[in-house]
Amino acid sequence: MDSSARERPGPRRGGASPPLRSAPGSHREGEMEDGICKQEMLQKKNAVLVDGVVLNGPIMDSKAGEKFVEEACNIIMEKVIQKADDVTEKVCEWQDPETLKQILDLEMRDAGESHQKLLQLCQDVIQYSVKTSHPRFFNQLYAGIDYYSLVARFITEALNPSVYTYEVSPVFLLVEEAVIKKMIEFIGWEEGDGIFNPGGSVSNMYAMNLARYKFCPEIKEKGLSGLPRLVLFTSEECHYSMKKAASFLGIGTENVYFIKADERGKMIPEELEKQVQRARKEGSAPFLVCATAGTTVLGAFDPLDKIADICEKHGLWLHVDASWGGSALISRKHCRLLHGIHRADSVAWNPHKMLLAGIQCCALLVKDNSGLLKKCYSAKAAYLFQQDKFYDVSYDTGDKSIQCSRRPDAFKFWLMWKALGTTGLEERVNRALALARYLVEEIKKREGFQLLLEPEYANVCFWYIPPSLRKMEDGPEFWQKLHQGQVWGYFAFWMLR
Amino acid sequence: MAESSWLERPGLDKAAGEEFLREAFQVLLDEAVRKGTDVTEKVGETRRPPARWWGGTERGSLPDRGRIPFPPSPQVCDWKEPQELRELLDLELRSSGELPERLLERCRDVIRYSVKTCHPRFFNQLFSGLDHHALAGRLITETLNTSQYTYEIAPVFVLMEEVVLAKLRELVGWSSGDGIFCPGGSISNMYAMNVARFHHFPESRQKGSWALPRLALFTSRESHYSIQKGAAFLGIGTDNVHLVGTDERGKMIPEELEKEIQRVKAEGAKPFFVCATCGTTVLGAFDPLDGIADICQRHGLWFHVDAAWGGSALLSSKHRHLLTGIERADSVAWNPHKMLTVGLQCSAFLLRDTSGLLQRCHGAGATYLFQPDKFYDVTYDTGDKTLQCGRRVDCLKLWLLWKAAGTEGLARRVERAFAYTRYLAKEVKRRDGFQLVLEVAPAIKERMMRKGSMMVGYQPHGARVNFFRQIVTNPTVTKDDLDFFLDEIERLGQDL
Repeated sequence: MDSSARERPGPRRGGASPPLRSAPGSHREGEMEDGICKQEMLQKKNAVLVDGVVLNGPIMDSKAGEKFVEEACNIIMEKVIQKADDVTEKVCEWQDPETLKQILDLEMRDAGESHQKLLQLCQDVIQYSVKTSHPRFFNQLYAGIDYYSLVARFITEALNPSVYTYEVSPVFLLVEEAVIKKMIEFIGWEEGDGIFNPGGSVSNMYAMNLARYKFCPEIKEKGLSGLPRLVLFTSEECHYSMKKAASFLGIGTENVYFIKADERGKMIPEELEKQVQRARKEGSAPFLVCATAGTTVLGAFDPLDKIADICEKHGLWLHVDASWGGSALISRKHCRLLHGIHRADSVAWNPHKMLLAGIQCCALLVKDNSGLLKKCYSAKAAYLFQQDKFYDVSYDTGDKSIQCSRRPDAFKFWLMWKALGTTGLEERVNRALALARYLVEEIKKREGFQLLLEPEYANVCFWYIPPSLRKMEDGPEFWQKLHQGQVWGYFAFWMLR
Repeated sequence: MAESSWLERPGLDKAAGEEFLREAFQVLLDEAVRKGTDVTEKVGETRRPPARWWGGTERGSLPDRGRIPFPPSPQVCDWKEPQELRELLDLELRSSGELPERLLERCRDVIRYSVKTCHPRFFNQLFSGLDHHALAGRLITETLNTSQYTYEIAPVFVLMEEVVLAKLRELVGWSSGDGIFCPGGSISNMYAMNVARFHHFPESRQKGSWALPRLALFTSRESHYSIQKGAAFLGIGTDNVHLVGTDERGKMIPEELEKEIQRVKAEGAKPFFVCATCGTTVLGAFDPLDGIADICQRHGLWFHVDAAWGGSALLSSKHRHLLTGIERADSVAWNPHKMLTVGLQCSAFLLRDTSGLLQRCHGAGATYLFQPDKFYDVTYDTGDKTLQCGRRVDCLKLWLLWKAAGTEGLARRVERAFAYTRYLAKEVKRRDGFQLVLEVAPAIKERMMRKGSMMVGYQPHGARVNFFRQIVTNPTVTKDDLDFFLDEIERLGQDL
């Protein structure tokens, strides 16, 4: 064999896989160098050794590697995909942490493991992981499986791109642009800007920082020290990322003023007005209101029109955290829940929740079209965002981000949208809310179940009152027992699976 | 149809979905994984899909596209101008869905027009290559689709993340500590900045920075730009990032750091944080950590090491000397998705502290997620240590790769990357025309991209005009690829 040709352990297509060079059942990193292959290399006169490393032979047995990927995918298909809708399967295989540590063999050792052992490890990981695609997994705001999103995710994992520049990630950058444009249409803006982020929490942080930059662009260079105390407003039902964001951005959690919500969990606009006035009187500097469209616990939608009126009156940035509720925009039947959202300056929306796009898929959309996002975030690193490239560098959108490398999170949403069409996505939202409605009706019919409130979205909040408590009078003792009982009930539910 | 009967059936066509998944997997294995990594693939061959990998049921009803001649395709990238690519991809999102055949065609197009970062001639960034075990880990992660915040929702991954972080800390030289996986090294650096601020000024979490004195932080002028972005984002201000001079090799000069700290103190600002870089982005320089640690100790400053790029040298007993003194750091950022080919993203933020500083700094105790009355030990619910709520599982791919390769296998990988560099440096010295930092770099870059034969980055640096920055980490690269790299530059540039 010509020593200048790449060495491959056999034909690449058609026919059976050639036997591996290494011992049966084993695959070790670098075995090609330590074992037979290295000896063969050294025997050839043209072996090139640099620092003791043979450089004219591959280090990895790609045939064995590809076989591993195929076999791992067999396991994925059998153990996860095909069982995804099987209600006779368990949602989770509960083990307490100490036991699970023993079962899993997590230790990372000096030597590699065999091919078979690695496949067994894959099986164990799957077996003891929670099946979030199971029809009876209701624990979080995401659940289920979408095959098109999964295919898209498999593709992006295989391609391993980073969405900072057009040269490295041409397809995914253009896809992101198209998806953002479409999402903006649903919000009701003519044009706008946006970016995909690693989470709704990060989207909220972006919005907070953008609002701050708009309010006082100098903060980017000078920081906050010595400036008036900035204050922001959000409902007491808001997502906790508002607090984390305030602390991270140097604003301080004390400067997040929580506005009272009504019995349905919606922000009370009159209370917001009061608080803004109070903040002004104190001499602080209000700059942002964050309304929530779909609160985490109750699924409440703040009254956006009234809140927008107040923001306009006081010159405050209006951000709408629609991470959970944003997907209702796709449904003609339910988009009225977000009436007024077009008046927002920014919106956070997570398709990985109700639309099943796959974790993570989180967009921050911005009404501004003057490049505010870029001005706020860019650092113009000369090694990445060179201005003398041979293509239009306005496509290098990565500088709008706080991240450097960034995942192509918009693509899975795009492929899913191509597969289902807006109609298919709309059906998905309508179905989720129809299922919620069905559950509400059933709860009302059954003794021992008590709704907290009549939901308008997909959050169905209820108490289960065990028989022993049903005759008890309403009072502190009743609620104390019920509080603990929910825990017991929850525990029993897990144990009985 | 009545609403109730609609709800009696599932809302997804499982059979069609599984069929699509099988067909698409075939495509990605062939087009992205096999073709993307092989330099010997000829341009313009008729593609035949390999024998069906998935045993069991008959092949689906999708037409056998494999027999249709596939248009010639260059290897690393198939360059298209943005407007042309937009049209080719047909990006518009419409109200109806499309047939599986069309979707499969789309998958092929996406793969075709995407840059093959796994290709042995992709040298453009600090990551490249494809590891099959890590890829399997990533596919499992996607399928299981969970978030890493609590033990109840991600039992395996919560335990696994702890083991992986402990292993990375061990290599840093710490027998205990804390940490978390972040969505990128930039964010790891920001975590360090925030934790350092909280450590010095615990009240800043509630009160904010407006009440603090003007803070000052220090890093080399060769540092990663995320330090600037972080200072702006955290409300510290980019003016308060003091860039310290470097020597001709790009390493921070400790005496300059001392001078800068004194100067800033005299101005009335409050130094609190120094970021040393182990493996700068452009020159790959390693700051002298012991000298910098001494200064930080003397002044009571938080010592962070951005080893996002260079951290992997810790795996090699031959090369870990470059990071001597790293165990003296308070925090370290390390991205296995770079040199260890694990797949984006895999970025660890490691902390020497064992007092729960990270939790105190970030925790919010959200009652719907981190209920204290759960039926298991809630210290396993590590999600509250982070800034994120939902968080991807980034540990499985690294863990599976490590299980496959072992620490020794990864060490060999790192040593190979260093050997490539040595070989290339020798070759560059040997060849005419490679001494100069070229203003022709952009032109050569354009030619290689249009041809699709390889990709490498270039940039200006200080007073130096544009030069190529060759990064080799992909373990499938051989000497032939490096020879090709230099030959190709010569070929593409000879008439300039």
